[in-house]
Amino acid sequence: MDFRLSDEQEMLRTGLNKFLATRYGLDRSRAAAKTGAGWQPDVWRAFADDLGILGAALPERVGGSGGGPVEVMVIAESLGHALVVEPYVDTAVVAAGLLLRAGGQAATQVVERIAAGQAVVSLAAAEEQSGDRWLDVETTAHRDGTGWALSGAKMMVLGAPIATHLLITARTDNGVSLFLVDVAAVERGLETHDLRTVDDRRAADLVLDDLRLPGDALLGEEGQAWPSLAQARDEGAAAVCAEAVGAMRRVVADTVDYAKQRHQFGQPIGSFQALQHRMVDMHMELEQSAAAVYLATLNLGADPATRARAVSAAKATIGRAARFVGQNAVQLHGGMGMTEELAIGHYFKRLTAVQYEYGTTDHHVTRYAQLTRR
Amino acid sequence: MDLLWSPADIAFRDEVRHFLDEKLTPELRRFGRLMTSVYSDHEASLEWQRILHERGWAAPAWPVEYGGCDWSLTQHYVFSRESTLAGAPSLSPMGIRMVAHAIVKFGTQAQKDYFLPRILTGEVFFCQGYSEPEAGSDLAALSMSAVDDGEDLVCTGSKIWTTHAREANWMFALVRTSRSGKKQQGITFVLLEMTSPGVDVRPLVMTSGEEIQNQVFFDEVRVPKTNVIGEIDDGWTVAKYLLEFERGGGASAPALQVMAEEVTAAATAQPGPDGDLLIDDPAFSRKLAEARIRTDVLEVLEYRVLATLANGGHPGSASSMLKILATELSQTLTELAMEAAGPRGRAYQPHATRPGGPIAQYEPPPDGYVGGEPWQAVAPLRYLNDRAGSIYAGSNEIQRNILAKAALGL
Repeated sequence: MDFRLSDEQEMLRTGLNKFLATRYGLDRSRAAAKTGAGWQPDVWRAFADDLGILGAALPERVGGSGGGPVEVMVIAESLGHALVVEPYVDTAVVAAGLLLRAGGQAATQVVERIAAGQAVVSLAAAEEQSGDRWLDVETTAHRDGTGWALSGAKMMVLGAPIATHLLITARTDNGVSLFLVDVAAVERGLETHDLRTVDDRRAADLVLDDLRLPGDALLGEEGQAWPSLAQARDEGAAAVCAEAVGAMRRVVADTVDYAKQRHQFGQPIGSFQALQHRMVDMHMELEQSAAAVYLATLNLGADPATRARAVSAAKATIGRAARFVGQNAVQLHGGMGMTEELAIGHYFKRLTAVQYEYGTTDHHVTRYAQLTRR
Repeated sequence: MDLLWSPADIAFRDEVRHFLDEKLTPELRRFGRLMTSVYSDHEASLEWQRILHERGWAAPAWPVEYGGCDWSLTQHYVFSRESTLAGAPSLSPMGIRMVAHAIVKFGTQAQKDYFLPRILTGEVFFCQGYSEPEAGSDLAALSMSAVDDGEDLVCTGSKIWTTHAREANWMFALVRTSRSGKKQQGITFVLLEMTSPGVDVRPLVMTSGEEIQNQVFFDEVRVPKTNVIGEIDDGWTVAKYLLEFERGGGASAPALQVMAEEVTAAATAQPGPDGDLLIDDPAFSRKLAEARIRTDVLEVLEYRVLATLANGGHPGSASSMLKILATELSQTLTELAMEAAGPRGRAYQPHATRPGGPIAQYEPPPDGYVGGEPWQAVAPLRYLNDRAGSIYAGSNEIQRNILAKAALGL
């Protein structure tokens, strides 16, 4: 048993943290998130060129560094600590995983471009009737000569307004299939409605009206996308758990600092026992969350049932912790915690969104119960 | 003893319903139903107040001689519940539900004659100047100074968390007239005109993006002594009296019941985690049922406190208990609405809602596109804004301190 990072992983973390501390101040990043395109393309470039994080967990054959889940954990935690809105998990973890498992020339080329910082890829899975269940797909795909024709609607596609490529789930005769769309090559049949999220990210609703795609747009076997999607969902869940731990570290530290500085009734509010106990509970939720991230990360390579159980345990733990830590950080900051002036309000919104991403807390508790039933 | 309504109460309910059917326009209903916090859009709220005032229902809890209604407790409750159910905008609590009671109890005849009729019409619109940057939970530590200068008090300092300070033309404020003795002594309750020279209002942007709260700066603002309520240096007495109104004077249960019914309706139409409807999900339906049970019980609890009030009694520390229970229940319900909204609950679409103030740094889509239903756009903003419930009007930690002392003698 060994929880130590390798020298390379430690360097990755140190370099990324240093970059984010100097280049990703909260004022600047929120201003960028709330206006214009909603992200900082120069930061994304630096992620690829200067830091190598976009390919850190990808194989060397596609231009990556050959790392794996531990690299993702290290990177996501640092990004979460700095409240990075650029779509690392969506692109470099979820989409890259789906593309790598699908294989084939078109998919491999896109993964190479992800590693090089030239592609942003969004997964379009959720639909109005499906809620968060990716398996419930009403969007259809039909063969059309040598190509495909897709029709349907997708909602809340994270990162879509800035994506170069989309991965769209659609139902074919044999089940759920996955299609790769080069956004620049689309001439008609794709209507997008851009949205902002409460946690300052970009998303879009998509309407597919007889969207024509080439034959090689189908990724993997027709109708056989679900096992890979399920794995992508677990990998995405594990990564946002790590991201949430990074965010919670900042939030707990800020709250403790505030409680030491803020005076009421002639003493620091941190001297009141009721508040001390609350902050100790926040601290314990954070420590359990960090442990839960190891549980998920180190089981991502296991068989599907083991992987699912570990990921659900982690996501349920992080969901509970993100709620408790976020809500109480706001409470202990009082009115200031509800403004955009301090970091805490921005982190609270991210910790709220995390609870509903890649399966809600209830969903993961229920899945855990099903997986452990005898 | 019974919990039933009399035929007269039912007749009154029908009268209220008829009035609401007739007077509450679809546009005003949207302003009520799509509120993102306890505060309505200012103009919509004032318009509704004018309509209520025409009927004599703008301030039912006031003494009849000043324009209140001679209603039974049940009638107050019925009116509140029916208004909320119909989607009426909320009225600002600062004038009608708060400072007016101080003026009635502690004001001079001249103050009553000037302010009470104008509060009713909306001509005088109050904001509240209590909290300061260094005096929040510890309200008595407030330091905004008021220096005696002949006919006037000259006020310098700052107030924070001032709701609708930009819309208000008057503020009721606690200021420090003396620094000797205990900190509760030497505080004075004043009415201050917001148009006075030396008043500067700076809006605060909340996590919802809304600019409803403000910080207000005062630089040698002159307040005539005729605008002091009660005695100079004795404002704490007035403030304590008002805090009980703020914390427990009204009934929260009707609004909470409406929220619970809205969540139930939403969950009956939204997909759940296993492919059924969300309402069929055991985890969700259990949480919702627990919240509804708490609401049903709170209603009776509030009713009992109101009955005490109606018999000339004092709510005392019970108002602290009601404040804690109602705000925490409201927070639970806003959270359940977020869950019901599903992935849509993450979308930031204030243009589909009717917030209580302007939105900072936001450009709605040029075509006005809204993803999902309007209530799904309301859900995250209500959730964010409702975190204030356990902070404002004396944080719930402070309320628990009060209960420990007053209810348990600890």
